[in-house]
Amino acid sequence: MTAGGGIVGGESAGGAGVAPSIGSALLRVGLALALIFGGIGAGLGYWQVVQAQSLSADPGNPLVQAAARNAPRGRILDASGEVVALNERGANGQRLRRYPYPAMTPVLGYQSLRFGTSGLERAFDAELTGLKPLGPGGDMMRKFLSDPYDPSDLHLSVDVRLQAAAAAALGDDRGSVVAIEPATGRVLALVSNPTFDANRLVDTAGGPAYLESLRDERSTPLLNRATQGLFVPGSVYKIVTATAALGSDAIEPGTTYPTDEEYEDGFRVDGFAINDSPRSFQRDHPLDFYEATEVSSNIYFAHAGLDAGAEEMLAWAERFGFGAPLDFDLPTAASQVTSGGGPLAGFSDRVELANAAYGQAETLVTPLQMALVAACVANDGVLMRPHLVDRLESESGRISTVGPSEVRTVMSGADAEVITRAMVAAVEGEFGQFFAGGAKVPGVTTAGKSGSAQLEEGRPHSWFIGFAPAEQPRIAIAVLVERAGFGSEVAVPMAGDLMSLYLGLGD
Amino acid sequence: MMTALYRAGIRPRLRNQETLLLALMGVALLAGWASLASQQAGRMTIGDPAIPGIYVGILFAIHVAFVLTGRRMDQVLLPVTGMLGSLSLLLMARLPQGLAGLSVGSLELGLAPLQLLWLSLALAVLAVLAVAVRNDNWLREYKYTWAAVGIGLLLLVFVLSPDTSGPRLSLQIGPIAGQPSELLKVILVVFLAGYLAENRTLLARTSTRIGPISLPPVPYLLPMVAMWGVALAIVIIQRDLGAALLFFTVFLTLLYVATRRFAYVVLGMAMFLGGAAILYQLFPLVRVRVDVWLDPWSDPLDTGFQIIHALYAFGRGGILGTGLGAGLPAVGDTPGDLPAIHTDFVYAALGEELGMLGALAIVALYAVIAERGLRIAARAADDFRALLATGLTLVIVIQAALIIGGNLKLVPLTGITLPFISYGGSSLLANAIVIGLLLALSDRGVEPPPPPTHARRFHLPLRSPA
Repeated sequence: MTAGGGIVGGESAGGAGVAPSIGSALLRVGLALALIFGGIGAGLGYWQVVQAQSLSADPGNPLVQAAARNAPRGRILDASGEVVALNERGANGQRLRRYPYPAMTPVLGYQSLRFGTSGLERAFDAELTGLKPLGPGGDMMRKFLSDPYDPSDLHLSVDVRLQAAAAAALGDDRGSVVAIEPATGRVLALVSNPTFDANRLVDTAGGPAYLESLRDERSTPLLNRATQGLFVPGSVYKIVTATAALGSDAIEPGTTYPTDEEYEDGFRVDGFAINDSPRSFQRDHPLDFYEATEVSSNIYFAHAGLDAGAEEMLAWAERFGFGAPLDFDLPTAASQVTSGGGPLAGFSDRVELANAAYGQAETLVTPLQMALVAACVANDGVLMRPHLVDRLESESGRISTVGPSEVRTVMSGADAEVITRAMVAAVEGEFGQFFAGGAKVPGVTTAGKSGSAQLEEGRPHSWFIGFAPAEQPRIAIAVLVERAGFGSEVAVPMAGDLMSLYLGLGD
Repeated sequence: MMTALYRAGIRPRLRNQETLLLALMGVALLAGWASLASQQAGRMTIGDPAIPGIYVGILFAIHVAFVLTGRRMDQVLLPVTGMLGSLSLLLMARLPQGLAGLSVGSLELGLAPLQLLWLSLALAVLAVLAVAVRNDNWLREYKYTWAAVGIGLLLLVFVLSPDTSGPRLSLQIGPIAGQPSELLKVILVVFLAGYLAENRTLLARTSTRIGPISLPPVPYLLPMVAMWGVALAIVIIQRDLGAALLFFTVFLTLLYVATRRFAYVVLGMAMFLGGAAILYQLFPLVRVRVDVWLDPWSDPLDTGFQIIHALYAFGRGGILGTGLGAGLPAVGDTPGDLPAIHTDFVYAALGEELGMLGALAIVALYAVIAERGLRIAARAADDFRALLATGLTLVIVIQAALIIGGNLKLVPLTGITLPFISYGGSSLLANAIVIGLLLALSDRGVEPPPPPTHARRFHLPLRSPA
């Protein structure tokens, strides 16, 4: 009756009243346990090998926080070698960060013992503390080192002189300036105004109260407008529409709009009238692409956008980086052509598409995105990945360089040349100089496009995007001043001054 | 002395394998102790050898007792248990000593000395059981009494423990505090082994069919439903998910071993999942545990804090580990980065300092216990002993798997201990009872089991008496 002494593998099951062997069941239990142990081994491998690096660099890891408190931290230097972030000893002997240039806050962020990190201090935290080895395989050996830290200095592409000048030019206005070296994607300036004093934030005594006051501030100084602010672009968006229309062969440079009647009564799209401001010098003939860009004709670009079609308009914008956060050293918001959901490839109707073509409707952009549009045109249609850090140099002498990296070819070189010619006309042309002439860099051919983004109420956002010199561009720029008036009034001359300043720096 | 032993009918018998393994264990502990002391002192030193010395001494004393009494018991279980205890001592010596404390007169005991005290008591219990248990009638004959004791313990917790929102794990009677669920698991295995050994023939039969599933006669299903109820009661009364999970898993596995009917396992799991779904709705504790398991990063500073920091610890350890004493609590300002590091998160702490290789070695130790336990079960003289050995093995191995899996975010985290490594007297004593009984069961010189008595109940006379 009993299956006593059931040796593994023994079978006595079967007949009624006879219990099955225990031994063979034990074998299966053993196998099940072996599977469980195997699963645990796999779990160990996952966390201790596969995920070990990212866990150890996670900002929440006490190891990282302990390093923030005690370990040396690399400095941050601008393109000319000026130190923009350094270490000091606080009252209790702990290491505190100091930032000599308040205008650098939108780039650097802060490293606070209390609030953690933001900006480049966050993005490059592991490299700055030096816990993350620069070479592969260094992790296994770390425990045998007497000093596990090899902090790296960050060498930026940003020039603090341009950065400070841009912040000073914005003054009390809310806005943003982004400047990029078109051929490499090196970011020369990234300004968001107003910003805050990171020195006060990292101060152990006054920090919390200061952060509270910043949170309550209506001008949102904690928002990085350059990378995360979304703004109506107005006419600067016409450069994106031009790329789509030329690239999809919807128009050629010689294509002309509007007809006389459209000019008189407005261009009617399903009953919605699009008007250009009355200017007597336009009347005698329909405008071609260059003239339309020069005088910023809404009717021309509405036609061009409708002729290109919704799909092409979206597809070409996405090639510039619209629709997804940009790959960048700082967190970015995604720029959009439309909010989506409508039946016309996301647009609700042809009226929205026509309005989006000259940067109104649901179109929202970050200043960084618009600077990239200008830089891409300047770089013969090739979009470069924007970056803030040129080079890392560790204490022990290891150097790692961030070279230029191509994102994609957005448009043909021929189209880029056509658009460049139109943008030069917009700054330097007979009529264009009334709009964007203020951006002209003395003695240098300058390309650009101004914008006045109409809002539901109040004064428009003042915009400019452009680059100089037009033949061999060294700087592309986007300037946004919130609710400051027409583009020509504020953003355009500011961009001209900043480009002049930068081109003069090298001499 | 030898003559006295011989006169008492005892023949000493060498246990060479155990001697060698214990010696290896002793070397490992002393090396670890020196490594830890050197790390803490910042120079080469072997540290204060009192604690490891006493511990190794106790183990060798037990070994000598086994040899002198001539027991033919398993020779691997004691060294493996000793190794797990060694790891426990190394970890407790390395953690902040203030995590536990006891003052006896002028003597202040910190974490490591206290754990040594508990380990010594546990090893003594283990040795006494291994040597003294020569027959199993007191276990097999009184299974319902044991079941009543177990349920009584459970009720006692319900009545006596303070009503808190967290798990009600500890029971305090006067100066003695303990975790009854640790003892309950041993009692449960004794009862199940007795019950299943008696009724397994019937449970393996089928007479009820529900769709594709064939089941035994309905009355014999009742104990299973009762066990399900007990598991749920443990969750509801003690708010102890780990114990409930452990009990039910052990029960289902034993039921499978006794009957070879996989349908029971499927049905039992379905019942447990159903019960779990209901509890998830009713009890915030269950809901929080499951939600945190699925995504700890949704609440990294509160409910997800523990598990995230356990994972950080594993990540910091990497393949080779930071070395004993070089893990995080020494780096940061706040000692004991992991809450409950000496009870619930010992595995994460050891995973950090010993690395993946050390963590795998710990798993291997439990795997050896599993192998030895199942081997003892396979060689057992009758069903009761086979089922008892299986159940005893499972309570240790599955408990270890549950808490290790919890530390690694493979299963929801529960508050059960890692056998022989976690700090705490109840856990050490209960697990020592388990190993002590396993050793006794492995003894080939033990009394044979009584002849089966239950068969007659179902025996129909072939021929009616004339």
